[in-house]
Amino acid sequence: MSLDLSMFGRFAQTYQPGDIIFCEYEPGDTFYLIQSGRVQIVKIMDDIEKNVDILQPGEIFGEMAILEEAPRSASAVAIDKVVALEFNRANFEILMKGNPQIALKLLKLFTKRIYDQKRRFMILTLDDIQARVADVFIMLAETQPADDPDVNERIFKTTVDDIAHWAGMSPDKCKQILQHFANQRRIELYEDRIVVKNINDFGRFVQSRRRNQQVE
Amino acid sequence: MPRAVQYKANSIVYFQGDVAERIYILKSGKVSLNYNDIETGQELHELIQTGEFFGVKSALGRYTREETAVVLSDAQMVVFTVPEFEQLIMQNTRIIMKMLKVFSNQLRRIHKQVRNLISSGKESTDPESGLFRIGQYYHRAKKFPQALYAYRRYLTYYPSGKYADEANRNIPLAEQNAQGSMRSSAPVSAAPAREELSNAAKAYYNAVSLHSQEKYQEALKEFQRIASDKADQEYAAKAAFEIGRCYFALGRYDECIRHLSGMIKTYPKHPDLTDALFYVGSCYEKKDDIPKALGFYKKILTMVREDMPIHRKVKKAIAAMGAAS
Repeated sequence: MSLDLSMFGRFAQTYQPGDIIFCEYEPGDTFYLIQSGRVQIVKIMDDIEKNVDILQPGEIFGEMAILEEAPRSASAVAIDKVVALEFNRANFEILMKGNPQIALKLLKLFTKRIYDQKRRFMILTLDDIQARVADVFIMLAETQPADDPDVNERIFKTTVDDIAHWAGMSPDKCKQILQHFANQRRIELYEDRIVVKNINDFGRFVQSRRRNQQVE
Repeated sequence: MPRAVQYKANSIVYFQGDVAERIYILKSGKVSLNYNDIETGQELHELIQTGEFFGVKSALGRYTREETAVVLSDAQMVVFTVPEFEQLIMQNTRIIMKMLKVFSNQLRRIHKQVRNLISSGKESTDPESGLFRIGQYYHRAKKFPQALYAYRRYLTYYPSGKYADEANRNIPLAEQNAQGSMRSSAPVSAAPAREELSNAAKAYYNAVSLHSQEKYQEALKEFQRIASDKADQEYAAKAAFEIGRCYFALGRYDECIRHLSGMIKTYPKHPDLTDALFYVGSCYEKKDDIPKALGFYKKILTMVREDMPIHRKVKKAIAAMGAAS
């Protein structure tokens, strides 16, 4: 997508590597469009700094603050020297009128975020904690479709902490469950990856738990 | 080309789970979107207004439909493919702005629901403590420039907050260390220049902090000052609502009712309107004026959607009153 942003030069802000662009819990009513450099989105949870996302030039962040005022839900930190256009609610409308492509991009971004959050919510509503962990793998599998749909084995480059985060439980609890799955030979645990032997088996397991829960 | 299509009553435009490709705008007739609340599983119905688009989110994101669209009485609609729809809205950013507002609302709501589920049992963090704790985290992790940023922002918003003394003590320590680390590692710029927070905003966050420390008298005074100083309309309106909350916390129910009723007249589109009505209802309940309390609670139910948290809150309050009487 080519955008003519020359008229927005006056909104440009420059950040040095390591600079916080905004901080979790800070009230904020601005959003950003990256022109150059990368931005890391992090959350501090249980005294660990967690990477939520790494954003590239052309991407938008901080967008939730535009239309409603609420504290930032994560921090944005410059990885490289970053130049980003900063918009507040007042000049947001000007930007949208001049660049409907950005508005459309934002609309699609919101759609995706809403679906992602709903999917996450579905995991958290499971009472059975084993099913919750299994459902995290299913969610991850959905976001990275297999090259060959006939292959049931899936490899996830993810850590126990990440799985625990998505499943909404402590890393210790999550480790126990993963160990249990490993003992059943349903998964293999490595330093840098987790291999799920049969993702469809996990799918059936979660489905049956979800059904039982609805019957109760 | 978008085409006009007629639908008979009781027909289905699309089913939940269908692959989404089309976007619709209702020209006439009645269409209901039926879906299950993700939290309770309860079936909810949402009536589409004439002139309103539906099926947008799933089609734009290429997801399956989340709801079933049922035609209640003979309807006429215009059907768009995704490229046709994109072309249309690119020429009319007003539509995009409107949709962004709707989506942003949904996003906030689901964020809140997720947070509620995760934090159940655990103590939830208020923004004030959260911001200070981030400073502490970076301080401990020896990321001093980041710690300084968080401490300074904390003091900007909460100059008399509960951690203000500690933040003031920690800043010189972090500053010394930050200078040390500046020579050895990447250069750290001063906090980037940005629009300074307006004085009204600073005063407002400070008063919110006082309220959370249960210093209601002091908070009330601050909010009253912000509301009467009309320099910043946005914060004057926010403060008007907070004054009502202070009165309620102080048990001054008559003043609370009077004040919030006045607020509703002055700001009929106040973002906290339904919450204000809820406080008024609660005041009457405290005063044992059950019919009036019920009146306000029922009014709120007509104003909000079934899946909004306030809806549940009101339902609960009504049920509790029924049990008590």
